[in-house]
Amino acid sequence: MKTDDLIDALSAGIEPVRPARLDPALLAWAGAAAAAAVALLLGVRPDLTQALQAPIPWLKGVYTAALAGTAIWLATRLGRPGVNPRPALFALLAVVGIAVAWGGIETAMTPPDQRMAGWLGRTWDICGRNILLVSAFAGPLVFLSARRLAPTRPSAAGLALGVAAGGVAATAYGLLHCGEATAAFVATWYTLGVAAAGLIGAVIGRFALRW
Amino acid sequence: MGWGVVDKEAELKRLMLRGLDGDPVAWRALLSEMRGALTPFFKRRLIGCEADAEDLVQDCLIAIHAKRATYDRSLPFTAWAYAIARYKLIDHFRRQGRRPDVPLEEASVLLAEHTVEDGAVRRDLKKVLSILPLRQRRLIEDVRIGGYSLAEAGARNGFTEGAAKVSVHRSMKTLTASVSPDED
Repeated sequence: MKTDDLIDALSAGIEPVRPARLDPALLAWAGAAAAAAVALLLGVRPDLTQALQAPIPWLKGVYTAALAGTAIWLATRLGRPGVNPRPALFALLAVVGIAVAWGGIETAMTPPDQRMAGWLGRTWDICGRNILLVSAFAGPLVFLSARRLAPTRPSAAGLALGVAAGGVAATAYGLLHCGEATAAFVATWYTLGVAAAGLIGAVIGRFALRW
Repeated sequence: MGWGVVDKEAELKRLMLRGLDGDPVAWRALLSEMRGALTPFFKRRLIGCEADAEDLVQDCLIAIHAKRATYDRSLPFTAWAYAIARYKLIDHFRRQGRRPDVPLEEASVLLAEHTVEDGAVRRDLKKVLSILPLRQRRLIEDVRIGGYSLAEAGARNGFTEGAAKVSVHRSMKTLTASVSPDED
């Protein structure tokens, strides 16, 4: 095709557009998929109604939702050519920093003989794996929600989308299934699970996010 | 960064904003301008395989069209377009199995290759015109560059049409003399 004809064809059918972002409907579906995966594959904790009256599950949820939120912001910035992603990256790192600091302070105030037990809980060895499992259901929808963007660094954008999927998965997992209650546990094992989802997202993004 | 680049950025951004609102005339103008800017940009970076430049230009124009919603209205247009062009170049190298070695430059290089001549000409013109008195200079600029008729330009600068005609004639004589030293 000649370039002149191409320009004619493109300008003939132009329609007004609104700024591109991650599709909120698909992100909502990603949350629903994560909740369904937790309920069907891992099971809802039996004391759910009672547990959700205490602040602990909600605090976990605030942390993992903040991870998802800042990662979505980061993915949006990375998905706009020429936009500096740094503010969003710093926000994401700040969220992790606050959780780690909180976990550290909490551990310092715990009697030394109970520290290990609080940090490892009863499920430290399966927490990351479970978050990854749930992410596998939320992830495709999160990636799909970014279709309209144009990431010039596909791996970095994939990392951000992977963290977003991990954050959504961890939120569903923390609220509906996991009974761990220390900040040190969440700051370590949840964060590692979400980070692993981010790394897998980076590898996928390298191929899936090219345009 | 010269004035040519600044003017160009403002013009392209105006076209882009109108294109985002669905104006086909502005969009066609923008794509044509970008074709003019992208062609030398890619040719210069594809030494030895300049034939690929046309494909890359088309690829880029399609991307500018398809991904126009990713442009942030508060930011410079050139930075957005440069990031797309650079991405497409890197992607092209990767497809060929070459290591993509594309340094990150100032986004304005995208326009610099397009307007460097424009800018130089404009600078020269300004220098030459500066020897005229202000009122005559404005008149000349309106007639010879601005595209006004003698009557319109005269009215804008406080000349009758006849006086404007005489003034332009005299100014042209002065200017010709100033740039051709032998005809003293």
